[in-house]
Amino acid sequence: MSVADVLSVMPLILTGVGALLVLLLGPFLQRGLVYCLAVAAGTAAGVWGALYPASYTPAIPGISFSPLARYLVPIFCIAGVLTLLYSHGYNDRHRIEGEEYPATVLFGLFAMCVLPCATNLLTLFLALESIAFAFYILVAIDLNRAESGEAGLKYLLFGAVAAAFTAFGISLIFAGSGSLELSAALDFRNRAIMSAGWGMILIGIAFKLSLVPGHLWTPDVYQGAPAPVAGFLSTGSKVAAAAFLLLLLGVAAPARELHVPLFALSLLSMVLGNLAALRQNNIKRMLAYSSIAHMGYLTLALLTGTRDGYAAVLLYGAIYTAMNLAAFGAIAALSGDEERARMEEYSGVGYSAPFRAGVLALAMIALAGIPPTAGFMGKFFIFYSAVKGGEIALAIIGIISAAISAYFYLRVVVHLYMRPAETTPPQPASPAESAALFLSAAAIVVIGVFPNALLHYLGTVLR
Amino acid sequence: MISHHLLTLLVFLPSLGALLILAVRKSDALARLVALGFAVAELVLSGYFFTLDTVHTLYPAPAGFFQYENVHWIDFFGIRYTLGMDGISLLMVALTAFITVIGVGVSWQGIKERVPLHFALLLLMESGILGVFLALDLFLFYLFWEVMLIPMFFLIGIWGHGRRIYSAVKFFLYTFLGSLLMLVAIITIFLMHGAQSGTYSFALVDLIGTKVPYDVGLWLFAAFLLAFAIKFPLFPLHTWLPDAHTDAPTAGSVILASLLLKTGAYGLVRFGYPLFPDAARAFTPLIYAAAVFGISYGAWIAFAQKDMKRLVAYSSVSHMGFVALGIAAWSPIALSGAILQMVNHGVTTGALFALVGMLDERTHSREIDTYGGVWGKVPALSFFFLLFCMASAGLPGLNNFVGEFLVLIGTFKVAPLPAGFAFLGMVLTLVYTVRLVQEILFGKERKPLVMHDLSLREGGILAVLAVGAVYLGVSPSPLLELVKGPVALLVGVK
Repeated sequence: MSVADVLSVMPLILTGVGALLVLLLGPFLQRGLVYCLAVAAGTAAGVWGALYPASYTPAIPGISFSPLARYLVPIFCIAGVLTLLYSHGYNDRHRIEGEEYPATVLFGLFAMCVLPCATNLLTLFLALESIAFAFYILVAIDLNRAESGEAGLKYLLFGAVAAAFTAFGISLIFAGSGSLELSAALDFRNRAIMSAGWGMILIGIAFKLSLVPGHLWTPDVYQGAPAPVAGFLSTGSKVAAAAFLLLLLGVAAPARELHVPLFALSLLSMVLGNLAALRQNNIKRMLAYSSIAHMGYLTLALLTGTRDGYAAVLLYGAIYTAMNLAAFGAIAALSGDEERARMEEYSGVGYSAPFRAGVLALAMIALAGIPPTAGFMGKFFIFYSAVKGGEIALAIIGIISAAISAYFYLRVVVHLYMRPAETTPPQPASPAESAALFLSAAAIVVIGVFPNALLHYLGTVLR
Repeated sequence: MISHHLLTLLVFLPSLGALLILAVRKSDALARLVALGFAVAELVLSGYFFTLDTVHTLYPAPAGFFQYENVHWIDFFGIRYTLGMDGISLLMVALTAFITVIGVGVSWQGIKERVPLHFALLLLMESGILGVFLALDLFLFYLFWEVMLIPMFFLIGIWGHGRRIYSAVKFFLYTFLGSLLMLVAIITIFLMHGAQSGTYSFALVDLIGTKVPYDVGLWLFAAFLLAFAIKFPLFPLHTWLPDAHTDAPTAGSVILASLLLKTGAYGLVRFGYPLFPDAARAFTPLIYAAAVFGISYGAWIAFAQKDMKRLVAYSSVSHMGFVALGIAAWSPIALSGAILQMVNHGVTTGALFALVGMLDERTHSREIDTYGGVWGKVPALSFFFLLFCMASAGLPGLNNFVGEFLVLIGTFKVAPLPAGFAFLGMVLTLVYTVRLVQEILFGKERKPLVMHDLSLREGGILAVLAVGAVYLGVSPSPLLELVKGPVALLVGVK
């Protein structure tokens, strides 16, 4: 293992060692300093990942800092760092103490950074499950609320079943192809075993991505988890799961066997996710169903099996991360001792907390796919790749369901600006929260208006 | 340098004003002044374009466009930032700048809460509308088309009356749903053109040359037509309009009626017909039917209204029917008439909404039943009321007459039957207008009304609008001259 190898996996070292350091030094340092250390580790990893040249040669067995990793690692790091910035004030108010929180966030971030670097099925699976492992802890971390523990348990139970399916699927693929290399996943010579293996993997991934019918855990877990954790869960772990599928598929088109299940998953998620979100009055449950629908859009781009489709998945991953972090971040920053759960609790907040409410409104407008936000650019790319890939019927269904979705996103905006206040105005935001909100809002606008740089880089990610 | 980016300046100057207003949001008075300053500056700037008659551009412009900007933007999809101005866009731009000044004027005192936000949204709205009238890249056009909705959604929802939130959401969803299918159609024609020519581009000039199979063209045109017909609004897609117009604050109603409706008509003229000439021809009977039915139906329903604002709103459905008729005929005279009628309707209906707003501010009622004998109490206001009602009814010498006349003549040559029915519809227009004038101005006073006559500000607004209405009615030829070239090019395409 040469120096160059070490340098190329530096993001993994930074996040991994950072997590350990936070755990070791946590008891001796001030709480603020611990969070600073964690933020510094995440930022350093992200910057390093963005700047260091990618290569396909493995640095250590099973790990290479591929162009895909170079694209995804900074996104994960941004998500992790913003989550930490949102959490500091939030955890203070909600009495979530201890260094295990930032350490677990960093550990989850470490696992996310490993995932796109994986070159064989084993590393890939380990990374995916380590991410889930971190979230089992994070979701249940609020000991003062029973819902948090309940959500953690639900996530653990569903996640364990999903992990079992995924593991079984991977072992079937190993049995069918005789290799653990990623390219083996599309070696369909041993048709029956491979199909069974892929079926298992799709069931597992449907859980991870909350695609209907594997979505049942999502609303409860989002509702129960602390808002910053829900934000991290809905972005980092979802993008990682999408990357998992992309890595298995390479840039090859999904085999015909996969088309039908992916089609069904996408259709059901887009339609049912958006319809169910219409009926929610809890903002986090609404965002959970919205998440389901958005993963349906993502699957739509994925199943076209084209270069454009995969590029759209990756772009949407980045955009979705910005949108959901802004939304959950604003929810976290607007929370007092308790989170504002019902829509009515957001009434009039647009005037008592203009900046935070503005970011929340922007996130809603972006999630609804209205220009000039990044949400529109992402949806445009997805539906463009779908029409180009010949999935016109599904694209039209998706677009109509997206139009319906505008209703429930606008409801939040209506409450923020058009209804008289019902609750006490929120406390002032901390500088960390404001900075994080500003960054996510800026990302939404900048990617929406100038997506050129990101799109160009995507061209090099996909061989 | 700046002379090559005048169009960009034109589109984004109001946004700049909006940002400035949000920066000085502590002072209501200052916000009003900044808004007025930027609106007037924008009007002056749009007036400057009338003096530029020669081709004046860095970038090679397509025929008919005397201002053009074409900069690469999102290369990945071949999306360019293309703005262009021909005579038609110039008229629409001038109307937009003019009506925005009026909009700022009418909300000067009527808006008392969250004043800076209101004026900032008015200016953002102007930017969005100007973008729609100037964009020549379909992606850019779509972007502005949707951006336009957001400020109006807030204007209706925050400062509106009655069921304001219901109306705001209905307005938004109706138009949003309608335009998403247009996005699919835009992507489809983009891919078709790319496959045929090898260059992928969203530019209108490129896409016009696409060979579209007939049956696919029908679907694509239908998607465009749906988006435009909702904004227009063509019968039976008008149901969002009475709610939105009635519940919007005065400035919102003025801008909705005078400007937003025009974007639908403009889109059909600029994009719908030129992109899919064959499909458009196939759809023409349907548009005739919708137009003629809308003229009579709008007038009929207007007659039955008790609320003045609703009455004016339904009259819009009727008047815009003439615009649709002129576009459907697609002959030089009819199309020129339709474009002129867009400007005329903007001025007249804007003025009527402003007047209703002024009455409402005085008596806090828009019910026709409340009023009566207004002529004796507030002569100046009544004079303008009568003038604009007559203009709306199509009295010769005033603006609407010219547009409707040209549309009818132009259409009669191509399609006598729809023209005949439309003419009958004009009679109905007279019925509800006369009723309105009679009940409000001349009827017996039904409830004791305490009213003061026009303030200087209100008088100024109405006088400016009145000058516009008379000028357009007496001397429309400079405007017709302006659209003659572009119209010939458009009709020649077919």
